[in-house]
Amino acid sequence: MDPNPVLPLLPVLAPIAGMVASLLAVRWWRVQALVALAATAFGTLAALVLLSRVWSVGAAMVYQSGGWPAPYGISLVADPLAAFLVLMSQTVMLAGAVYAVGSTERCVRDPIFLPLFLALAAGLCGAFLTGDLFTLFVFSELVVMAGTVLTSLSDDGNGPEAALKYFYLSLMASTFLLLACGMLYVAHGTLNMADLGRRLAASPGEPLAGLALPLLFASFMIKSAVVPFHFWQPDFHTVSPTAVSAMLSSVVVKLGVYGFLRLLTLLYVADAPTLQALLLVLGLAGMVYGGLAAIGTHNAKRVLAYSTLAQIGVILAAIGWGSQPALAAALVFTFNHSLIKAALLMLAGALASRAGVKSADFTHLTGVGRGVPVAGALFLAGGLALAGVPPTAGFVSKLLVLQSGFQAGRLVSASAIGLLGALTLVYVTHAYRRLFWVPLPAGATAKPRGDRLLAPALLVVLVLAIGAWPAALVDVALLAARWLADPQAYVTAVLGG
Amino acid sequence: MSLLTAIAVGAMFGIGLFQMLRPNVVRSAIGIVLVLNAVNLFLLSAGAYQGEIAAYDTTSTRARSDALPQALVLTAIVIGMGGFAFVLAMVTLLSARYHTSSIDDIDRLKG
Repeated sequence: MDPNPVLPLLPVLAPIAGMVASLLAVRWWRVQALVALAATAFGTLAALVLLSRVWSVGAAMVYQSGGWPAPYGISLVADPLAAFLVLMSQTVMLAGAVYAVGSTERCVRDPIFLPLFLALAAGLCGAFLTGDLFTLFVFSELVVMAGTVLTSLSDDGNGPEAALKYFYLSLMASTFLLLACGMLYVAHGTLNMADLGRRLAASPGEPLAGLALPLLFASFMIKSAVVPFHFWQPDFHTVSPTAVSAMLSSVVVKLGVYGFLRLLTLLYVADAPTLQALLLVLGLAGMVYGGLAAIGTHNAKRVLAYSTLAQIGVILAAIGWGSQPALAAALVFTFNHSLIKAALLMLAGALASRAGVKSADFTHLTGVGRGVPVAGALFLAGGLALAGVPPTAGFVSKLLVLQSGFQAGRLVSASAIGLLGALTLVYVTHAYRRLFWVPLPAGATAKPRGDRLLAPALLVVLVLAIGAWPAALVDVALLAARWLADPQAYVTAVLGG
Repeated sequence: MSLLTAIAVGAMFGIGLFQMLRPNVVRSAIGIVLVLNAVNLFLLSAGAYQGEIAAYDTTSTRARSDALPQALVLTAIVIGMGGFAFVLAMVTLLSARYHTSSIDDIDRLKG
């Protein structure tokens, strides 16, 4: 085998190349659109090939950039976890690009919209793939910047308000991450995550390394919108352009989940029991708060944003159980939630584009869906998937989570997840009734044309297909969970024997 | 010397954080710069007190300084500058749209 395979670089390089190419074509929007579609499609293909190669080897593929050996250069580590998450984000990003190109929003025609969208994809994949803590900071900052600028471009006049709120909080998160980088560098003299994991295990009790842990934890909590740190999220998702909010609520919030997994299984393995207990409590709190808040709001996009808080809660609770099947279940849940939530947000946005007053508020959206039966069918399928009803992918992930919880002997928290799942059904059916069941109120009009439905249709088909044939996805998640159980394997893969 | 740097960095971080929490958006933008620069100084001081000569000097056998924190700080400065420029642009836009400089009055998104 090639000692320094370039393959892990491709999912990051494809969107960056697309970004540069589309910046060269600022005057021709059609060219930009083609470039964006081609770049995300190529990125998805590269991610698929990468995952299949990682699957066939059963271990990590490591690219040492520039050929510099591990602790000195920057490594890109495509271990099963990273390859899995990269495939997830590239797939959703491809759907997002398809949606953006078929969107009627004015901001999509802005010459910097599509380049920034590709920057978001590059930052996300880079953050998942990098094996270096400082590079993780750089890539996550790229994600934040791209996301905020895209939101402030929004057709909605309140875009800058939401962008400012998000930017302050996530700038704080990035500052924490940077501080933690500095502290870990002082304590252990390295920023390579494999090297760091090895040294943290070898000499525990360094005071500065202990201080870095809460900083990293808080930073990932803000990135994932875990409940006490979620205040930016609902505003942000209500006003950002649909294609962008679908990405932010599905794949970008998974950045923090990824961070938690690395903290627990690579960096601070010794502190894992404390962190797991904390994650379990945070997850349950998020499920209660997110579920109730989603029922109480009157805006379709806001309902889905609050729903993300609850679903992230399920993922954190499963990570908190910490057993291998629970981690695999959390990964399957992560993947499926990304597809489902992106599809639902796109459908909500597509309906908003058809409403008389362009808004996702229920008062403006009531009955708009009656003229678009296709969207109704897709929303129903997606909504049932979100609630975990068979035969959708949501059922598979929910079943795996509950099964692993009961297997791990966590009867109380697993039953709590099962019961709180009923809240999902409440807000999904409520939203469906308002959008697709109730007739248009007198005097209100719906536009005959709006955003294209191709992208959410693709995602929903994928969700149903995973629901019918879940074996492949579950197998990959199980491989990733097995891999996570052995931190030494990551260290050996990056640093060599 | 290192104690003095530590106190200075801590004070700068504290002042920045205090400014950041003020209701005036311009003040809080200045607070962001102070916090970012305090973190940059912290990173810089991580490599400041080891070694006596520059990292690229191979002629001498004396202890060479660690160049990595400086490389990190350069990247962080660029990112921080971009972020600050963006915040200022955002503040300009917001004060034009909402006719206020108080963060408490920028509250159209609720629910």
